[in-house]
Order: sequence, then structure tokens, then C-alpha cells
Amino acid sequence: MGAHLVRRYITETDTEPDPAKKYEFDPEFGFPERKEREMVASQMQMNLAQLPLEQRDYCAQHLLKLMKCKRDNWPNFLACKHERHDWDYCEHQDYVMRMKEYERERRLQLRKKRIEAQAEAA
Amino acid sequence: MAGVGFRRWAQALSKGKGSGISALLSGSRAASGSSKDTVLGPPPKSPEEMAAAAKKYNLRLEDYAPYPDKGEGFGDYPKLPDRSQAERDPWYKWDHPDLRRNWGEPMHWDFDMYIRNRVDTSPSPVPWSTMCKQLFGFIGFMLFMFYLGETFRSYQPVAPKQYPYKNLYLEKGGDPEKQPEEVKNYEI
Repeated sequence: MGAHLVRRYITETDTEPDPAKKYEFDPEFGFPERKEREMVASQMQMNLAQLPLEQRDYCAQHLLKLMKCKRDNWPNFLACKHERHDWDYCEHQDYVMRMKEYERERRLQLRKKRIEAQAEAA
Repeated sequence: MAGVGFRRWAQALSKGKGSGISALLSGSRAASGSSKDTVLGPPPKSPEEMAAAAKKYNLRLEDYAPYPDKGEGFGDYPKLPDRSQAERDPWYKWDHPDLRRNWGEPMHWDFDMYIRNRVDTSPSPVPWSTMCKQLFGFIGFMLFMFYLGETFRSYQPVAPKQYPYKNLYLEKGGDPEKQPEEVKNYEI
């Protein structure tokens, strides 16, 4: 918790990824093949549901199911546990993917630095 | 006959002690306002003038000091210490408890400013310099910490969130005719 801040500002200031900058490595680099993320809910569906922009992500189909379930089951506010769990799990997976992307960028930066150091030493 | 009555009526009006126009015509004055011996006089120069002015304002000669004569129009009015009524003893039985003043006491030139509802010259409980140092020290420290927080921002170690449909190009108001740049999001 906060080790990345220590790395960024004190110990490894040149390799730790900057959240403001775009990641510089090719997404396919290091992977034999990479699966693209699938968007299930269409733009028209999200528009009709009037989703705010922050919620129009790759988990929107679960959110739409959840909203429909809530609307159908009102006033029973305890009814949609399954749909809510699906949406939460999808969002959790999305966050874990973000963490993995950050870590991938960080390791690639360290690798780049190692290669440069080796090239200089040689 | 009518002329006699009219003349009598006019005389009665002018002699009567009424207010308004009749007061102007009759020459009698109201009892409010300063009388001839209490009105503001010229700045005193000689010791006799000083003594007379002190007596007029109900002060001892030792306590009486006029304003320096700079042509500002203070006359012989006494220069009293610039202390507000809030500094006076709250427990003494003043004639006017709210104003903390006794009857006949000389009033400060700015008395209406120094009443307890307005300007208060009481000393602060802690020295002024200490108060200034504490306040500005605190504000300066907070500003410095905010500056540090802006330079060395704290964030979670995650990549930016990925959105579909070319980063919601159309939803964010992008031009439908133009083709935006390609955005590919992968699983990991």
C-alpha cells in the first residue's frame, strides 16, 4: 500500500509508470496472441437506459440486467443479489486487469532499463 | 370687525409658544440643543482659557488636553484616551449601565464609535504577535502541504480504465462524420 509511490518518487523514478502518460509498449509485445475485450451491450441499449458515461464500460451488460431486475422487483429491494453480484464481479475483474496492465508496464520498463545498462556496460 | 378679529388672531399666533412656523415667528427656542455657555469654543491658548475650557467640560485642569490645532475644527473639545466603553468596569454601578457612563461625564469625540456594540479596544488575551505567528504559521503550513500534495500526487497502481466504442467517441459528442483513431482494448 503505497510502495509504488515510494518507487515513483524516491527509489525508481525513471522506470515506475506515470499514470498521466500513455503506456509506450506495444500491447501485443510478449504475448503469442491476445484476445480483444468483448463489448456486449450495444450503444443503442446504453443510450435507451440513459447510463452515465462512467458506467458505459465493458460490464454494462450486467448493469443493464441489474437495473431491469430492480425495476421488475420493486419494492423488494433485496431481490437482485445475483445480478448485483455478477456486475460487481465483472467490475472486480476489470480492476484486476487494470492492476495487471500497470504491473506489465512497470516490468517492461525495468527490462528496458536493464537492457540499456547491459548495452552500456558492454 | 373682521379685520380686528384677524389682527387679534395673528397676534395670538405670534405670541404663542407653538412649534413650526409659529416658533420661528415668536422667537422662543426649545430646551434641547447646546446652550450659549456649553457650545464648542475656539482652541484655548492661554492658561485662563485652558482652565475655563476644563471647567466647561467637567474635567480637572490636569486631565484636560485639547486637540492639537491643525484647523480640523475640534476647537477646545478635550482629547480623551482612545479607549472603548468595553474596557470599563462591567461591575461598577454606572448611571447608564449599557453605555458604562455616568451622568455629566465628558464624552469622547468618537463616543458613538466606542460603544460596546461597535469598536472594541480591549487588549487581546494573547500577545498580538503570538496570534499572528500562530495563524499565519498554520495557513502557511497548510498551503505548503497542499503544494506538496499536488506535486507528488497519490494514486492507485492501476492503468487507466478502458472504455468501448473508441473511448465512447460518439457518446462524448464526437463528430459522426470524422473517423477517430483506432482504440483496441485487450484482456490480460
